[in-house]
Amino acid sequence: MKTTIQEQDGKMVAILAGSLDTAAAPETEKAMSPLNDVEGKDIIIDCTELEYISSAGLRIFLGILQNAQGKGGQVYIKGINENVHTIFTITGFSNIFKFM
Amino acid sequence: MNRIIAYIRRKLSVRVSLRVVVSAAILFVAALGYMFFQARDAVYHEAMNRATQILDKTSLRVDSILNRVEVASDMTRWLVERHTNQADSMFVYSRSMLENNPDFYNCSVAFEPYYFEEKGRYFSAYTKHVGDSIRTIQGGSDSYQYFFADWYLMPKLLDRPCWTEPYFDFDVATNTSEMVTSYCQTVKDRQGRMIGVINTSLSINWLSKTISAVKPYPHSYSIMIGRGGTYFVHPDTTKITRQTIFTQTLEQPDTAMTALGYAMQRGEEGVKQMHINGKDSYVFYKPLGRTGCSMAIVCPESDIFRSFDRLQNTIMGIVAVGLLLMLYFFIRIITFELDPLRRLATEAETIASGQFDAELPDFQRVDEIGQLSHSFGNMQQSLVKYIDELKKTTAQKATIESDLRIASKIQLGMLPEKFPTRADRDDVQLFASLTPAKEVGGDLFDFYFRDEKLFFCIGDVSGKGVPASLFMAVTRSTFRTVSAHESMPDRIVTIMNKTIADMNKNHMFVTLFVGVLDLPTGRLHYCNAGHDAPLLIGAGIGELPCDSNIPVGFMPQWKFSLQEARIFTGTTIFLFTDGLTEAMNANKAQFQMERVNEVAARALDNQQHEPRQLIEQMTDAVHQFVGDAEQSDDLTMMAIQYVWQHNDARMRKNITLPNDIQKVPQLNAFVEEACQTVGLDEIDTMKIKVAVEEAVVNVMKYAYPSGERGDITIEAASNDVRLKFTIIDSGKPFDPTVQSAVDTSLSAQERKIGGLGIHIMRQNMDSINYERSDNRNVLTLRKKLNKKN
Repeated sequence: MKTTIQEQDGKMVAILAGSLDTAAAPETEKAMSPLNDVEGKDIIIDCTELEYISSAGLRIFLGILQNAQGKGGQVYIKGINENVHTIFTITGFSNIFKFM
Repeated sequence: MNRIIAYIRRKLSVRVSLRVVVSAAILFVAALGYMFFQARDAVYHEAMNRATQILDKTSLRVDSILNRVEVASDMTRWLVERHTNQADSMFVYSRSMLENNPDFYNCSVAFEPYYFEEKGRYFSAYTKHVGDSIRTIQGGSDSYQYFFADWYLMPKLLDRPCWTEPYFDFDVATNTSEMVTSYCQTVKDRQGRMIGVINTSLSINWLSKTISAVKPYPHSYSIMIGRGGTYFVHPDTTKITRQTIFTQTLEQPDTAMTALGYAMQRGEEGVKQMHINGKDSYVFYKPLGRTGCSMAIVCPESDIFRSFDRLQNTIMGIVAVGLLLMLYFFIRIITFELDPLRRLATEAETIASGQFDAELPDFQRVDEIGQLSHSFGNMQQSLVKYIDELKKTTAQKATIESDLRIASKIQLGMLPEKFPTRADRDDVQLFASLTPAKEVGGDLFDFYFRDEKLFFCIGDVSGKGVPASLFMAVTRSTFRTVSAHESMPDRIVTIMNKTIADMNKNHMFVTLFVGVLDLPTGRLHYCNAGHDAPLLIGAGIGELPCDSNIPVGFMPQWKFSLQEARIFTGTTIFLFTDGLTEAMNANKAQFQMERVNEVAARALDNQQHEPRQLIEQMTDAVHQFVGDAEQSDDLTMMAIQYVWQHNDARMRKNITLPNDIQKVPQLNAFVEEACQTVGLDEIDTMKIKVAVEEAVVNVMKYAYPSGERGDITIEAASNDVRLKFTIIDSGKPFDPTVQSAVDTSLSAQERKIGGLGIHIMRQNMDSINYERSDNRNVLTLRKKLNKKN
């Protein structure tokens, strides 16, 4: 599992690659923690390379979203593949995230 | 005729009037009849008197005439006997006789042959009326030798004066003859020798006219007969002297006429009633003195009673007209008097037709009609009142009935309507029926599938009707609520009991059987709270052993016991309420357990113990037994047949991991390989991977105390139908399936971090099943394989 954070056009972009399972979750959560400190910027999570996600991963996504919304920011999910999107749909997360 | 009778029956006024008039008519007829009878009698006697008087008068008159003849004859004899030597004087005497008595027909003073020698052999001074004059001639000649005539011989031979039978007096001069009767007496000389005969005649025709001149009635007439019965007087002149009174009886025997004839001949006097010439007549008869004749007056009855009959007819006519007028006026008067009644009847009919507010005519009367009208008015008011009340009551009843119908629908709607078919499930078959005795009932059954388990219950609330139905609804919803979080029947029943007992103010209770059938293993956990023990119909028939627990609802602290049994494939569990065993026929006999067993045994023999077949047979048997008797109690049956087929495994592999989440990628690799082995696509593989990871991570995190190492074994197995993952650990009991579901419709801020795992498991797999077995937690996840796989 590989996590990259970068700033693009005034937005914070997190690029996730690999399988975000329970084992990978703590490391990924740690890698994405800078996003929690962002003030007033929208966050884009690039899931193009994300192959798998379990509830541990979804919890990280929800944490970032709740944090960003608390500060008036917005979280977008980008390039998610069909398989992973199925999990979003099943859990109702497709309703609370914005996709681009 | 029928129409007239119908009219009379319909019209009271006509009927009453007719009765009165008919009664009056009967009275009148009786009175008049008596009066007429008396009057007729009086008229009859009057007629008798009158006729008798006339007869007497006529008789007297005839007598006087005869007397006159006799006296005149005696006078002439006296003169003749003084002057027997003066032949010519005889002409004077003879003539003076007729001059003095113009109504005499003739008179002869005849002498013995050669009495006057100068006169020759014949000398008879004969005087007779010719027109208005009197002619006197010398009768007697060779052609008329008078001394051989009856009138000459009779006094001579008898030596006393006598009246002759009528005979024809032939007048040579005029060549005419006249029927006469003569009074003859001999003339004697001083020596007493008979020298001649004085003959004085009366015309029978004249006498007849004299007699007939008196007519008591217009159509009455007189007859006179001689000694031989010959008619001398008769209105039919052709009969005179030619016929006797007996002539007619020779042709047509007439005893009355014959009797009359004999009576008259005998010189009797009297009256006879008889039929003459087609008329009822009275004949009054009386002898005519010395002549030997008898006269009779014939008076037709119609003549006698003519005026009387006319009077009678007139009176009858008046009475008839009077009665008709009476009838008419009676009908008018009664109709007029009954008019209010008629109006009342019309109004009553209007009311009877349902128009209760029709206004009744207001009669200011105090008689019976007024009372009737008043009573009717009261009745109408009461009727209106009662109808109103009835309407209200009916409406209320309709509302209640409607409510009950709705309640019944709601209640039946609570019960599962859809039963799994073979296509739906290949592990269990199920059917149930509930027939309430009233609109709503206190029986209940329920079942549903959670994970790989069948939760079911059957119950019977004490009592019937609405209270029982409410209690039933509470019981059923409590069952659903409690069993959503509890998988063990004893726990379910204990919690239900506490919940229900706490709110049970009316001391009702419910007998309840709760079972949880683990479908993969066929293990049945159950708890019986005072309910009838179910039947097991499989290798044989037997009751499921049940602990004696109390029913649910009155002892909140009661701890219900758990029981367990193994159900083999093909076995049917038959549950029922006491409405089955206690179903009553018309003779109050109960269906009883023996019959239930018989039906079940028959069904088993015929291999027809599939749930639907079994319940249909049981229902038929109960209906046949009960017949037309009213259903006495709610009847509920539920049959569950376990049909799990343990297919041969196609794939089986397993992995044992420590409780370390770092082993998750290893787990995922294992799962992915298993999925690919059975040929699942990417999406299904992804779903199963996530589900199994969630299940295993749950165990890793919670099954063992923190820091304690434990193993988790994951088995992957598949047959043609399913892919199955079994996760086994020996940690503390932990049932993830009873966790409440997450609400996926909440917003980001409202969403909780936890609870997602079990949700994903349920969503991604076809079933999840938890069993605690041999101190191990066994969690089974199943996914059906599509046929193409």
